[in-house]
Amino acid sequence: MAFTIDQISVLTERTQLFLVILNKEGEIVNCNSKCNIILKSSQAIEKYDKIYKYVIDEDKSRFQKVINTISEDNPILYETFGFPITPEGIITLKLEFILKNDLIYATGIDITTENKEHRALEVISKLTKTGAWNYNPLNERMYWSEGCYRIHELDPNTPMTKNLSLSFFPENSRTRIENYFECITKNNQSYTFVEKISTAKGSEKWVKVKAKPIMYQDEVVFVNGTMADITDRYNYIEELKYNEETKNLALKGIKSGLFDHHLPKNIVFYSEDLKKMIGLPLDKDFIPEEEFRKLIHPEDVDEALQRHQSNLRSQNPYYFNHYRLNHLGEEDYRYYEVYGYITYDKYQNPKRLIGNLIDVDEKTKNKKLLKESKKNLQAMINNGFAYILLLNTKGEILMADDLSIKIIKKNYDVDPIAKKSKFIDVMPLNFKDTFTKDFETALEGKSVRKEFERITLNGTTQWLESKYTPIEDEEGKVSSVLASFLDVTETKIAELAIKEAHLKEQELGKLKTNILSNFSHEIRTPLNGIMTITKLLLKEEDVEERKKLLNLLSESEDRLLHTLDNLSNLRDLESIEHHVALYTIDVNYLVSKCFNKYKKEAFSKNLSYELMLDTNSPSLKTDQEFLKISISHIIHNAIKYTNDGKIEIKVESDENNVYITIRDTGIGIKQENLNAIFEPFVQESIGLSRKYEGTGIGLSLAKRYIEVLGGNINAKSKSGKGTDFKIIIPKSL
Amino acid sequence: MNILYVEDNRINAIVMEKMLTGIGTDVAIAETPLKALKIANEKPLDLILVDINLGLNQMDGCELLQRFKKMDLLQNIPIFAVTAYAMPGDEQRFLNLGFDDYFSKPVNFDRLIRTIENIRTKLV
Repeated sequence: MAFTIDQISVLTERTQLFLVILNKEGEIVNCNSKCNIILKSSQAIEKYDKIYKYVIDEDKSRFQKVINTISEDNPILYETFGFPITPEGIITLKLEFILKNDLIYATGIDITTENKEHRALEVISKLTKTGAWNYNPLNERMYWSEGCYRIHELDPNTPMTKNLSLSFFPENSRTRIENYFECITKNNQSYTFVEKISTAKGSEKWVKVKAKPIMYQDEVVFVNGTMADITDRYNYIEELKYNEETKNLALKGIKSGLFDHHLPKNIVFYSEDLKKMIGLPLDKDFIPEEEFRKLIHPEDVDEALQRHQSNLRSQNPYYFNHYRLNHLGEEDYRYYEVYGYITYDKYQNPKRLIGNLIDVDEKTKNKKLLKESKKNLQAMINNGFAYILLLNTKGEILMADDLSIKIIKKNYDVDPIAKKSKFIDVMPLNFKDTFTKDFETALEGKSVRKEFERITLNGTTQWLESKYTPIEDEEGKVSSVLASFLDVTETKIAELAIKEAHLKEQELGKLKTNILSNFSHEIRTPLNGIMTITKLLLKEEDVEERKKLLNLLSESEDRLLHTLDNLSNLRDLESIEHHVALYTIDVNYLVSKCFNKYKKEAFSKNLSYELMLDTNSPSLKTDQEFLKISISHIIHNAIKYTNDGKIEIKVESDENNVYITIRDTGIGIKQENLNAIFEPFVQESIGLSRKYEGTGIGLSLAKRYIEVLGGNINAKSKSGKGTDFKIIIPKSL
Repeated sequence: MNILYVEDNRINAIVMEKMLTGIGTDVAIAETPLKALKIANEKPLDLILVDINLGLNQMDGCELLQRFKKMDLLQNIPIFAVTAYAMPGDEQRFLNLGFDDYFSKPVNFDRLIRTIENIRTKLV
């Protein structure tokens, strides 16, 4: 059921609401009589008067904005405008605007009483560097008070939006602040935060922002907020923190002294500590500023004075300066820093400078040193050094490359940079020997460079090139030592491999020549006999002589055959593992057979030739051919290298092994050659002149064969006294 | 004509002796360098043949040569190397050491006998 026109006209006139109808130009089309109060009822209300005419100045542009932006889909709610009225002053209306058929229907209520409070706040905000703001989550409109604009040094006519308000905060905190908005509108959470802003004019300020949600039917319909410029306070707190730090530093044993500089009088009063620190006369309490200036290092005076003046000129009461001061009247200057506070008289002229003079000599010198060293280090790192440490003269680590620090942290659980550590306490054990000596040499001003080998924690061999470089201060004294360790393992391995390969090649070449030469000699010698005998046989007619010659011929042929046998064995050396035939044999029997084979040879040299068998008659599962060849070679060798005395062959056994010993009283083998004799083709005299016949592969063959059988050959010898060869073969393979 | 043959290999010594006596020379065999030096001191010689590899003995043929060279008695006596060392370079090596001639084994008896005959004619 709708109202009739009459009913409506009654209602509109009897209501407490202000009702105005405007066209899109903001001109008044109609209004109820309640509006007379704001439309100056004393004057005739002219239709099509612009409504702005009746709004207080500071609200005019905002009203216009409402008219300009309203659309049918976008009604504008809760806008508050002030209208001047006499004699009360200002009436504040809270208006709602709706657009329909190109006409704007504005309805409002008088909120003057509530608004007085708000106005008062505004006034206060002007005085206290604070501002008020509100936010409508429904249409996402943002409202800033003048105070806010002032804090942001922004033209108050700039339309404010949420994004614009955010843009003053540092980029990395915007997301966080947007989250606050989310929380307050969705979860009804108030918030307060302090953040830096960069104003429209580019200056930096600290603001404290507070926000509180306004609820309507359990929903946040509005957010009221304030913001305050707390830059001064913030700086003050920072300054406090800084002073606290200074105080702490002072407590940590840094020398400092207080002074009070009366600026108009140019007199410096100073504390007892300061007197002692820089050696001022103890009986006086002050000196003229000029006197004090004389203490400053000539190179620092100009700059220090400049800093001093600009400190005094600036509006900032915090004073900072630094310079070197003569120390106790000697040619010795130390670094000092001055932290102070300036007080002003009522004309804003600086009156007093109260300061703390702090001895930062060690700190500054270290800083300087580190700066220089850092450069050096960087160069070193770029040059490919793996581990680099900068040590002071006590051997403590001042700096180190990341890798070294990581290793030390891991292995010793200390951070060598955070906590002064002696390098020797955090280095691998096998560094220590070389370190102590080299470090001392470096302290004497000499560089040390060497390569050394060590075993790493995981058992591999590492080659390091270590370098200790002394670093001198301006006076030429060693102030620190740069220690670097370059892992040259790979290079070293390659180097060694090349060397080894080269040696092997040389050896191989030598061996080849030796083999050829040996075989040639060994073949030619019996061949000489054979050919000569053949020649003699052709001429010889005497039967007895012919018989003798034929015997000699067969002897020569045996020797030739032995050489040729060796030659074919040589070829078999690499493939013997493939045809081992295992049978259980009687060791006594096998050794007897070998013994008998060389009886003739031994007797022809007039040697005593003995065999001692094992009474236990040990048996052995083995390859009898391999064993026979091995024993034969050794016996043959023993006879060959023995001029007089005896050859003794002995079989023994215990529950695990069989032992076959061949002992001679021959020329023996030098200790240094004992290992080499089992190498193929090595004879002790090779390289000098080859004194002994034989192809020189017998022993190496014997060793290979016995090893195939799971056994071992040992040789013990005394040069000139004889040699013991002992074959040990386990009973079970 | 007196010839000294220094040789440790029994067979080679026997057959050389037989060969050289066959052409009418007197041959003394020395199995060791010491025995060779002894003979050289006691007996006038016209030629010395020396094996290089003398086995287990204290000296080899090269060292023995140096000893002979120092002996006044042997100043004009030719000394030949008779050896199984016959690799390239060996001949030059032994001649450089001071041997007057070099015979590799197996010995070329035609050349050896010819050489000996030459020396014998000069002696006469």
